[in-house]
Amino acid sequence: MSAYTTKTRKTLLIVLAVIAIGTLAFADLKKGEYVPSQLGSLQQPASPQLSPDANFAVSAYPIPAIELAPGDGVQEVRTYCNTCHSPRYITMQPPLPPASWEAEVNKMNKAFGANIPDEESHKIISYLQAHYATDTRR
Amino acid sequence: MLSRMGIAGVAWGLVPWTKGFSAFAQDQNSEKAIESFTGPGPNPHWNSIGPYISEPQKAPLILLTDRPVQLETPREYFRQVFTPNDAFYVRWHLSGIPNAVDLKKWKLHIEGNVKRPEALSLDDIIRNFKPVSVAATNQCSGNSRSRLQPRVAGAQWGNGAMGNAMWTGVPLKELLETTGVKDGSVQVQFQGLETGPGPNGLPSNLFLKSLDLSNEVIDECIVAYLMNGEPLPMLNGFPIRLVVPGYFATYWTKCLTWIRVLATSDENFWMKTGYRIPDKPRGTTTPEEVKTGNVKTLPIGRFPVRSFIVSPDGDSKLIPGVAISLNGIAFSGYGRVARVEISADDGKTWNLTKLGEDFGPYSFRAWSSSWTPKSAGRYSLAVRATDNKNNVQLDEPIWNPGGYLWNRIERQEYVVGEAS
Repeated sequence: MSAYTTKTRKTLLIVLAVIAIGTLAFADLKKGEYVPSQLGSLQQPASPQLSPDANFAVSAYPIPAIELAPGDGVQEVRTYCNTCHSPRYITMQPPLPPASWEAEVNKMNKAFGANIPDEESHKIISYLQAHYATDTRR
Repeated sequence: MLSRMGIAGVAWGLVPWTKGFSAFAQDQNSEKAIESFTGPGPNPHWNSIGPYISEPQKAPLILLTDRPVQLETPREYFRQVFTPNDAFYVRWHLSGIPNAVDLKKWKLHIEGNVKRPEALSLDDIIRNFKPVSVAATNQCSGNSRSRLQPRVAGAQWGNGAMGNAMWTGVPLKELLETTGVKDGSVQVQFQGLETGPGPNGLPSNLFLKSLDLSNEVIDECIVAYLMNGEPLPMLNGFPIRLVVPGYFATYWTKCLTWIRVLATSDENFWMKTGYRIPDKPRGTTTPEEVKTGNVKTLPIGRFPVRSFIVSPDGDSKLIPGVAISLNGIAFSGYGRVARVEISADDGKTWNLTKLGEDFGPYSFRAWSSSWTPKSAGRYSLAVRATDNKNNVQLDEPIWNPGGYLWNRIERQEYVVGEAS
């Protein structure tokens, strides 16, 4: 009985020593680690169907949805600014001083002929200053 | 069975005391999306921060805006001297850009103050003229705009609003010779198929650019129908685009359809108000000076000398004592790149790099070097280029209200880990 226990202990100790040495030697080897994810955030486009005529065409340019900060004036931004460009022109900007947003809207009206009525222009300026200016951008 | 579990349990118990298993703390390596905006400080990333998007004829590129389309080329594509067409950056001004061109109807019109106006089909352009090729860098005026302090409004490009291609087509000069230019002509104006919903006569309706006929670059311009030996992607200006070697891309009219000789100089917004730079060394000024209203401006022209470290990109650790290969590109709109140098001591000393094949004065020039970090730690390498007119990159930042001409010395940070 006692001989059997001693033998078992001996084996156990040897195995433990092997594991301990192995653990120390390969301690930095980290096994693969995985996290759940999503496929298709960037879909692979299908090949186009071509015909040998003179019309050289490509598919439509995608317009992904864009989130604008909710708030007063967001509807005016969507209506007027969207005439010439996507609102991504707004979200792409760094936080700008409030005066720069006013200058931008004035430039759209004067140089680019956006012709946004005064009341709506003011609403748009206030909206941009309230959400996309140096002190307000989140 | 029981004893095995016991062993595993004891072994598991050992784990926390073995120093190596601190590796379990490496969660910073799990992929996180980049921040959704940068500022008011400079954009700290090599590229701009937009998401990737897949546009027709394009590899996934970095989206700045979708309508009109502005896409940036990711850094890794600059490992090659010639930027692949499907990775070439895209920048339009107006939302009405073509999805299709019918070459039965499409003609290149050469008109205005000319003796014999012409309308040429693509076939005429290809068959009636001997093709020439030029390797030329195309760089957006606002490339790296997101570096400026204070930040300025506009497309917030990182460094990827540039590309280099072998452009093949017809010399502009030969086209102008077929029509003849009337005496007293001063400029030639370029108009593509791009249109916007704005009122006639305003910059929201047409994008127009002009070059002086007396400008020596006229002799070097080509009307290109091939880009790296293939038709141009629609987003890069199919069927033809103007190539103005050494000049910022604002003059490289895409889907070029009207070449108009002018008897008086072009007063449209895109020449008179937009794309102007302070008439000062390096085109730099200050917000205070601009407010005085006394900053004289010029239309933007040639791009200044620049260089970039492309790889390694700093996103992986380096090993001490092992030489790594540093690679990048350099170019100048003023002449051939004469040398590219690397500094590992914040610009105190500079070491020459080896230049790659010379594809002509306006092409990207590859450079390579080797660097051996001695020990673990954080390092910063700087790169600067000098062109053969002796223009050299400086470390002082520049500023102008348009966010143009950025060419400050570039730096790359590296983390070197411990190898024992």
